[in-house]
Amino acid sequence: MADSKKPRAAFAPWDRRELPGTFSVEETADRVGQYKWTEMKLFEALGGWVATVPELDIKMRLGTHCYHHAWHAELWHKRLPELREMNPERLTLPANDEFVAFMDAVTEPGEHDQTIEKLVGVYRVLIPHKIAAYTYHLNNTSTITDAPTIRSLKFAIADEVEDFTDGTLMLTSLIETPEEVERANAHQLKLEKLLVASGGICGPGTIGDAYDTSVHVAANGN
Amino acid sequence: MKKLISPEELGRDDRFERADMMDRIADPRNATPPEDSKRGRPGRLTPDRADASDSARALMHGIFVGEIQALEGAGRTCYDFEVGKGDDDVPFELKLDMARQCWDEARHCEISVKLSDWMGTGIGEFSENAFLFQAACNPDPVLRLTGVNRALEGLAIDVFNTMREFGDLAGDPVLEFCEDWMLADEVTHVKMGSDWLRKLTVNDKERQKKALEFQKVVDKLFSFGGLRGEEDDNPIQLARRFRELAGFDDEEMEEIAELSREARAEVEERGRLAREANVQSGV
Repeated sequence: MADSKKPRAAFAPWDRRELPGTFSVEETADRVGQYKWTEMKLFEALGGWVATVPELDIKMRLGTHCYHHAWHAELWHKRLPELREMNPERLTLPANDEFVAFMDAVTEPGEHDQTIEKLVGVYRVLIPHKIAAYTYHLNNTSTITDAPTIRSLKFAIADEVEDFTDGTLMLTSLIETPEEVERANAHQLKLEKLLVASGGICGPGTIGDAYDTSVHVAANGN
Repeated sequence: MKKLISPEELGRDDRFERADMMDRIADPRNATPPEDSKRGRPGRLTPDRADASDSARALMHGIFVGEIQALEGAGRTCYDFEVGKGDDDVPFELKLDMARQCWDEARHCEISVKLSDWMGTGIGEFSENAFLFQAACNPDPVLRLTGVNRALEGLAIDVFNTMREFGDLAGDPVLEFCEDWMLADEVTHVKMGSDWLRKLTVNDKERQKKALEFQKVVDKLFSFGGLRGEEDDNPIQLARRFRELAGFDDEEMEEIAELSREARAEVEERGRLAREANVQSGV
């Protein structure tokens, strides 16, 4: 057995987490509040749609997904006080008016014959965008100081990817004719334009700026 | 998407047959076989009843459509109300509970579809009426929660316990196993209802009274003319032990039993008057 008194490195050779991160406490709280606002709008809409969707398998699946997003909202709600926002409602806000318009358009379809539109908004536009935004946050925050947010992001991303797969399967099974392809694409196009106008779930910069060439990633990781 | 929809707006595929309560009662498959009748009632659901298979299948179909409506009701409560402190608003945490209930009810639908298949029935073999969802249309969140989570989910405790016992007696471990799991969820849902009723009305006894009155109305309606109760010939038995776990006290359970007796007496009186009227008119 090894000598238990022999000094070891504080960070073992396999642990290469780093201190620096892109976001301050305040910036993180802002983002988390915007995530919570969006997750709330999403789980409320999924819950509302359960009643009006006639397709039984989709009705049941939306009921399950409703809880996934409510749980994400709860995770973000609980994270806010840990980020010095003692009144979580104060930061439970959309990034901007354009993002409100986007979410209104996502959640607007209410009729029995609009299941394609309902699913397109959530599974082709909103959830892929959330996966992108959450992944950007995960890859840019400090892996040591912001570990609690990272843990929640990983749980949320796992759900989002699984729900995206479910949604894609449901949509693929629903879209059977060229007209339905056009319907789905037209709705997606409309929503994508609104999303672009908003800049995303956290507004402009939601996933950083890929054209900012001043950001260098050194070969040695520093 | 609009708020506060009516039962007529529920989305269903073509297999589902909507019928009102009177049509359901008139369904000859619901008639009591004379050899099983005690005072004109079918009695407890036991495997030795001549109509046991059909009754169990009908009950399972009823559970299935009830679970769909419960799923829809919980979902609408997530959507219909805003987060806030006003009388028309609900706390954030209540919405989270309703979303959790949505997931639970979605699983119950899945379980019920598979059990229906296992028991030899299918979607649409029996009719559906939407009076369960009706209770979930109440625009007052406290009344809605009390009607749904204490009255209807309370009934679900009684029904699942009855079905679980039937599974045990019939030697059907799959049925017994599944009903037991669903029963655990229903106790959770009723407890949610009891806890939220207490929290939301802690400083408003008048509102609490109104909510409990609404619960009584729903409880009486869902006694189905005494189908649910505590007497030997009540097909659905009041599950006191599980209701206690869910926050009901003895007085409340006695009240439900009494409401059931009242509902039964009313139905029997209506039947007697109808028979007399038939005799007088020579029918």
